[in-house]
Amino acid sequence: MNTTFGVEVRTIEGGVVLELAGDIDGTASAGLGEAYERAVAGNNPKCVLLDFTQADYINSSGIALIVSVLAKARAEHRKVLASGLSDHYREIFEITRLSDFIELRGDLDAAVNQIAESAR
Amino acid sequence: MSKRMVKELATFALPSQPGNERQALALVAAAVSESGLSPDQVERLKTAVAEATMNAIEHGNRDRSDLLVEVTVFEEPGAVVVSISDRGAVTSIHRTPVEPDLDEKLSGLQTPRGWGLFLIRHMVDAVDEVSDGDRHTVRLTVHPGVPPAYPRSHR
Repeated sequence: MNTTFGVEVRTIEGGVVLELAGDIDGTASAGLGEAYERAVAGNNPKCVLLDFTQADYINSSGIALIVSVLAKARAEHRKVLASGLSDHYREIFEITRLSDFIELRGDLDAAVNQIAESAR
Repeated sequence: MSKRMVKELATFALPSQPGNERQALALVAAAVSESGLSPDQVERLKTAVAEATMNAIEHGNRDRSDLLVEVTVFEEPGAVVVSISDRGAVTSIHRTPVEPDLDEKLSGLQTPRGWGLFLIRHMVDAVDEVSDGDRHTVRLTVHPGVPPAYPRSHR
């Protein structure tokens, strides 16, 4: 029932992708923070895409982690996008106003293409 | 209201261990599968149940696994109600100490945390609290077929 948090970091044209999987709750704190730091280290990406396609569950602690990542990215003048959110979690992003600061996209491929095109 | 008009759908108890909220939401989702809630309402209810159960585990029962979180799901005419009880002091659902403000959180003026009660209030049609001695109960009510009180455009 509970699924362990995991994240894969991938560099794309114009940015980086953090592909999040499993439960995004308090247990994801260290993993998500380290993944963000690893993603932005060295190549100073302008865009950070958080992909939730493989995320099973996001709770209030997970929302807090996303807020922390967003705050850090904004302080570093990076744009944050999100893809792969279910309708329910998209609604939560809207209610919490995360969607005022994170561009919500549909699927991962469309978001990656958009970032690449805007970088050209 | 006559007790005959109330139909119990499920009742269960879980040890107060972090992560058990996932079990609560799954059991509640199964219990309400024939209750006429829309898929969106079920998803919202699951989130509210998870957050209320987390509060009961962490704040009510203080992560003491020997204390149980008791959950009852029942139908009333025009409503599905989930009650979640712990053995803690009252933690008001309606009087959140600080309303989460994303601008302030991003500016460092508020902690990034503090979304639990906010989510509970926005995910269901009504939230009530009852305290009876050392037993504290949160009741979440959803009306089948009624649009959410806080539609997606709400700010």
